[in-house]
Amino acid sequence: MRTRTALVASALAVALIGLAGCSSGGSPASAPLGDAPRPAGVQDPAKIPPPASGAASASCGDATASLRPPASLPAPGNMPAGTTMAKILARGRLIVGTDQNTYLFGFRNPETGAIEGFDVDIANEVAKAIFGTADGHVQLVAITSAQRIPYLTEGKVDIVAHTMTINCERWQQINFSTEYYHAGQTVLVPKSSKANGIGDLGGKKVCAAAGSTSIVNIANAPSKPIPVSVPDWTDCLVMLQQGQVEAISTDDTILAGMAAQDPTVKLVTSTAFTNEPYGLGIAPKDDQFTRFVNGVLANIRSNGRWAAIYQRWLGGTGTPPAAHYRD
Amino acid sequence: MVNIATFAWERSHRSAEVTCECGADMTSDLGVFACGGYRNGADEPAGRRELTQTTVARVRSSLSVDPNVVRDRIRSRLETTPGRLNGYLIVLTILGVLAGLSAVVGAAQRNDSIDSVVNRSGPLAVQAQRLYRALSDADATAASAFLSSAAEPPDLRQRYQLDIADASAALAAAASAGTSGTSGTAADPIARISAKLPVYTGLVETARTQNRLNLPVGAAYLREASALMRDELLPAASQLYQSETAQLDDDLSAGSSFPWLTVPLILVLLGGLVLAQRYLTRRTQRLLSRGMAVATVATVVMLLWVAVSWLDVSNQLGDSRDQGSAQVNLIAQARIAALQARADEALTLVARGSGDAFEKDFTDRMATISGAAGLVGQARNQAQSADVAKDLDKALGSIAGWGSQHKQVRTLDDGGQYPEAVTLALGDTAKTFNAIDTSLGDAIAKADGAFRDHASSADAAMSGATVGWSLLTIVSIAGLVLGLRQRIAEYR
Repeated sequence: MRTRTALVASALAVALIGLAGCSSGGSPASAPLGDAPRPAGVQDPAKIPPPASGAASASCGDATASLRPPASLPAPGNMPAGTTMAKILARGRLIVGTDQNTYLFGFRNPETGAIEGFDVDIANEVAKAIFGTADGHVQLVAITSAQRIPYLTEGKVDIVAHTMTINCERWQQINFSTEYYHAGQTVLVPKSSKANGIGDLGGKKVCAAAGSTSIVNIANAPSKPIPVSVPDWTDCLVMLQQGQVEAISTDDTILAGMAAQDPTVKLVTSTAFTNEPYGLGIAPKDDQFTRFVNGVLANIRSNGRWAAIYQRWLGGTGTPPAAHYRD
Repeated sequence: MVNIATFAWERSHRSAEVTCECGADMTSDLGVFACGGYRNGADEPAGRRELTQTTVARVRSSLSVDPNVVRDRIRSRLETTPGRLNGYLIVLTILGVLAGLSAVVGAAQRNDSIDSVVNRSGPLAVQAQRLYRALSDADATAASAFLSSAAEPPDLRQRYQLDIADASAALAAAASAGTSGTSGTAADPIARISAKLPVYTGLVETARTQNRLNLPVGAAYLREASALMRDELLPAASQLYQSETAQLDDDLSAGSSFPWLTVPLILVLLGGLVLAQRYLTRRTQRLLSRGMAVATVATVVMLLWVAVSWLDVSNQLGDSRDQGSAQVNLIAQARIAALQARADEALTLVARGSGDAFEKDFTDRMATISGAAGLVGQARNQAQSADVAKDLDKALGSIAGWGSQHKQVRTLDDGGQYPEAVTLALGDTAKTFNAIDTSLGDAIAKADGAFRDHASSADAAMSGATVGWSLLTIVSIAGLVLGLRQRIAEYR
């Protein structure tokens, strides 16, 4: 009996509260219940960190110029004492910071669970030069774009192979190998979109990974798109598929990997609006190791390994970018 | 009080000069009723009828009587024996009515609280706990399923589907009970879960499809699903669980509260009855009025019944809390923490070397459940049932085993042996974890059984109270009225 009375009373109370809600007017500021789900760590609009140490000091001439390799590399399994290579040899594995979210460059193969791609194969060549074989001697650590430099400076990885653009600003924090791939930033849109370049996306949301050069380029584009940043590249594809961003803008290589996963998107036909030379990231001031890695890269440019890796992941025949040295 | 005293005096005073003493302050309904009360008096002298009939009119006209005079008259009237007896009659009747009302209303309220414990807040707390657990389990299972390569193992797929079915059923039960006011806003956890659960399952299915197509974007969908689960669904489920548990605790407290109004009222009534009888014995030289004796016995029986039923109910509800709901709460928290730690373990491996945040979360959650001071240890210390204690001991052993297996997983992963780490995490570690989950689930089922047994006993302890206490009140009042009026009549 009393329970029924209480029920009636609470029903009345609910009705009254409902009425009060109506009379107070207006729906909540942003109907939170209907919000689309978002990738963890999304920033909309993205916060663009200021250049590490002033634009003036970020100029270093040719950023792709690295350190010249020795005339001949030490034999695998026999590294000079006291070097980083000797340390890696003693440890038994090369620790590589890479991506598990960039299709064709560094991604987790859902079938095998293994991380593979162009970047991973390049890093494997370095391991092969140290151990004689890469099998069982490579430990891949999946990191986000923003984690690349901290992981190197904190010594958590020996090398970063992660579609990483060489530029003067980053040279101030870490070392780079010579350029092993040449990419350029462009735009991915749904096939129905009329945009044909970053210039058509003024005021529209454009996605890129946090800590990448791409997000800075979006923010600095004259057409003033709204940059939206996410931790990993595939998060951008998710947001595009869910209609939360209008476009994705980053290197053509990464975008090609996304286009390969979704037949309803396209790369715009306008040419790339930036140059993105990729290099392997190496701990700051480790010149000896940098020269060794450059030696490995010089070898695979000339012995056909680079072309084979290109063929494996990107198809067709590619030409490796020429190495530039500063000394 | 003046009204009552005057009325009492009116009813007893026989002298000719009596006019109705409903004075200036007697204009209330009670006053009118009191003065008019003569009309039905069976023993009323015929000559007084006219006087009585004019009373109402007088009350209304004589509004200017000096209160001091009234007070003095009342005092002098009360000094006569019939005046005193009438005073007792009035006061005791009112006390009897108040005590009876208080007892019956209190019994109804107590029944309501117990009914809520048995049929509403108790089952709802269980549903909320079921929902919270099912969602946590879905999160852990989806993360584990992602770790295994190729098509996900059928047992994990089945477990995920069971979790979603279980969560939906529990959500429907909680929503239909209309708990915590289903306001349909974001502040309402049920509305939030109802809105987001289909989105979550949609994301998981998209991730699964993409995975089958061998596309890495599936992993991104799974990450988004997991973020939705951890940032929105689990906090809402936790909020719902806490509010339902708090509601149950409130009902348990309300059900076992001491009858602070009823017991003193009955005691005062009893005291009044004793005083009245002492006065009667002294004045009338007779030992016992039969009516008063019946009233006293009825009142004593009622006092005992109220006290015993309160003792019984509060004991049973106390046990249903200590051996039931409090245990369920501790163990359920431990079980959910274990599930979330399991999800952390899998997500650390999914993150492939950059999962420090998940690993830290794992360590924190394990710290809350392991050891004697942890949630399971606390529940074990408070367990009074040997069966529950046995389950909890088993769980504690498995938790220690999981801790060392997890260290092994981390050593393998950090040492570059990722595939071996995944194999261990999905193999032996999964078995240990399932053993923990099963033991804790068994312990929860047993503690919940104890909760329901004791709550039903509390319900039984109150059976018949409302009817019985009403009857006792009527007997008590009838006894005292008849007893006193018999004596008053002897003065006429």
